[in-house]
Amino acid sequence: MHFHARAAERVRNPVLQKALQKAKPLFVGKRAKGVASLADDGLDFELLRSTAESIRNRVLADLDVWLDIFETRARVSGAEVLWARDGDEVARLVVDIAQRYGVTKAAKSKSMLSEEAQLNEALAAAGIRPVETDLGEYIVQLAGEAPSHIIAPAVHKTIGEIEALFAEAHGRPEQPRTSADIPAMTQEARAVLRQHFLSAEMGISGANFLIAETGSAALVTNEGNGRMVTTLPRVHVVVTGIEKIVPTLEDFSTLMRLLPRSATGQTISNYVSLLTGTRREGDQDGPEKTVFILVDNGRANLLGSAWQDMLRCIRCGACMNHCPVYFSLGGHAYGWVYPGPMGSVLTPLYTGIENALDLPHASTGCNQCGVVCPVRIPLPKLMHGLRETQVERGLRPWRERFALRAWAWVARRPALYRWLTRGAVRYLRWLVDGSGRIRVFGMAPGWTDGRDLAAGSGKTFHELYAARKRA
Amino acid sequence: MRIALYVTCLIDLMRPGVGFAALRLLEATGADVVVPPAQTCCGQPAWSAGDRQTARLLAEKAIAELADYDHVVVPSGSCTDQLRNIYPQLFADDGHWGPRATALAARTFELTEYLARFAPELPLPDAEGGHVTYHDSCKGLRGLGIKQQPRALLARVKGLQLTEMADCEECCGFGGAFSVNFGDVSTRIVDRKCESIATVGADAVVGGDLGCLLNIEGRLRRRGDERTRVLHIAEVLAGGGES
Ligand code: SF4
Repeated sequence: MHFHARAAERVRNPVLQKALQKAKPLFVGKRAKGVASLADDGLDFELLRSTAESIRNRVLADLDVWLDIFETRARVSGAEVLWARDGDEVARLVVDIAQRYGVTKAAKSKSMLSEEAQLNEALAAAGIRPVETDLGEYIVQLAGEAPSHIIAPAVHKTIGEIEALFAEAHGRPEQPRTSADIPAMTQEARAVLRQHFLSAEMGISGANFLIAETGSAALVTNEGNGRMVTTLPRVHVVVTGIEKIVPTLEDFSTLMRLLPRSATGQTISNYVSLLTGTRREGDQDGPEKTVFILVDNGRANLLGSAWQDMLRCIRCGACMNHCPVYFSLGGHAYGWVYPGPMGSVLTPLYTGIENALDLPHASTGCNQCGVVCPVRIPLPKLMHGLRETQVERGLRPWRERFALRAWAWVARRPALYRWLTRGAVRYLRWLVDGSGRIRVFGMAPGWTDGRDLAAGSGKTFHELYAARKRA
Repeated sequence: MRIALYVTCLIDLMRPGVGFAALRLLEATGADVVVPPAQTCCGQPAWSAGDRQTARLLAEKAIAELADYDHVVVPSGSCTDQLRNIYPQLFADDGHWGPRATALAARTFELTEYLARFAPELPLPDAEGGHVTYHDSCKGLRGLGIKQQPRALLARVKGLQLTEMADCEECCGFGGAFSVNFGDVSTRIVDRKCESIATVGADAVVGGDLGCLLNIEGRLRRRGDERTRVLHIAEVLAGGGES
């Protein structure tokens, strides 16, 4: 199914629309407060953005060097570092490790990269049960769906839908629920998940950042599940992208001033973990085995290209939270792992420009994403660049190309243009019905399916202006 | 002082009154205002579609015909953005057109920006009495930083009361070709805008970009709202706004 068809379905889904309508002001309001709170600490958002942008740019300029440093430091503290070229390789490596350690159940904390690798499917096929432990991820796993948002995976679900899923999975009758029941429902999921934390032999997590100077993974969560996943099971596997490196703890703390604020408006998330190496002598907990799987899956190709800016992304979700298109459709319409503006850039770049032709066009160019992105990724500019690449590679429909060129040919011949536009405005007048407007316009049904079209006055400005000058 | 009024293709075709309103306002500043006779379209649709080559051809035409004016004034945020921010990018690597594009960019102003800056004392006619709300268009607001200018101008119109709507900075869903190619998504977005407008209950919604306004008006009418007028700010400021 293509984006168009998926989109058409979703704008007409009242349950989804209700869920989205509710979430949007929350996201926007919380971020606005979070960013405003920077002033309390004497910090300036725009200055901080510039610093964050340059930290990320510095890493990307010498990514191989930083990865080298990270690898060395991580090994010194007892972790194993593996490299994966693509999603298949990630899945193979994880399944391998699981089999080596006799794992039958893996507890997972949120990782979008594991979605890129379709890791859950691969684990299940190998007889290993993956259990998502982030509440939102747990919900979408019960529903057999993919996350629809990078930080709020189940944002597309209403409380009623979640209640139905819980009732079925937890073997109890369904009850009527309101938002007042959220704590109770969370407790219920917690009780179930606790058993999984205790029995899983392997924990799988992502990493929000990799810190080169210490060889650590930084994990930012709100539910504490990340801590359980990374400390209770014997084996901990971190799956993350090679671009997640930051040089120092100082840099990490700078980025942390922006990440939670941009994502949920929090000054800091409930849990921030720095995971370094394996359990040491005298440690209360921690895995016996820690493996980092550092994944390329298309990232290295972007280095030094026109798209390198995209690699600065710290996955805060602010771009989608401020996107009018995202909040009309939800994340699933985008067709792959990443939705919203960042997804409209990443999906074509990671899965093939020719496989996601609609996404860079599915934007009004409003730049509501660009002005909130904490690392100043010029998302509309990147989408525009993808549009240009489509044209250069001859991937646009010939009708569109022909129409544009024909129109431009005319527009460069003012006399002809005047003559044709005079005809056009008269034609529009002729289409008007009793309401004084056009209800059905065959040349642009996409417009009149949902809107009337004002018909103008039957004369163009230029002909009236010329007449005025003659008079 | 010679000013070129750049009449956008949407105004030319869909609502010539906006062009004449802008003309009256500029003439009232005492300047010599001309609508260059050969102007057609700034090329934004081609640029937006990713057709750089075609966009450049139209940009060259516009740059050439606007070269001899002290100022170029455009009653649209999105076309101003094209002339000011996109043209220099289009010719960044071009020794001939590049400097011309940059020079034009420096002389190009959106209408409210121009009036607020160069004609702060311009007498404005009284409003027939009305309660309005203002929609910030994306390119005007985020592309050009236009926010205070239209409000300052509206505040000087006697008898006019402005009430801000929630999310006045939120996109209306127009997006040029987007509104036709992704009609159902666009409609969903403009629906939310219509709801904000309805909540304010103003007599008119005012904006600076005809694309947004046609989109909002089209949806308001389809939803059955025949009352709320949808006006370009030039029409309000010049008096005798017609919807
Ligand atoms: S592109 Fe920017 S706003 Fe979007 S998720 Fe990445 S960092 Fe956040």
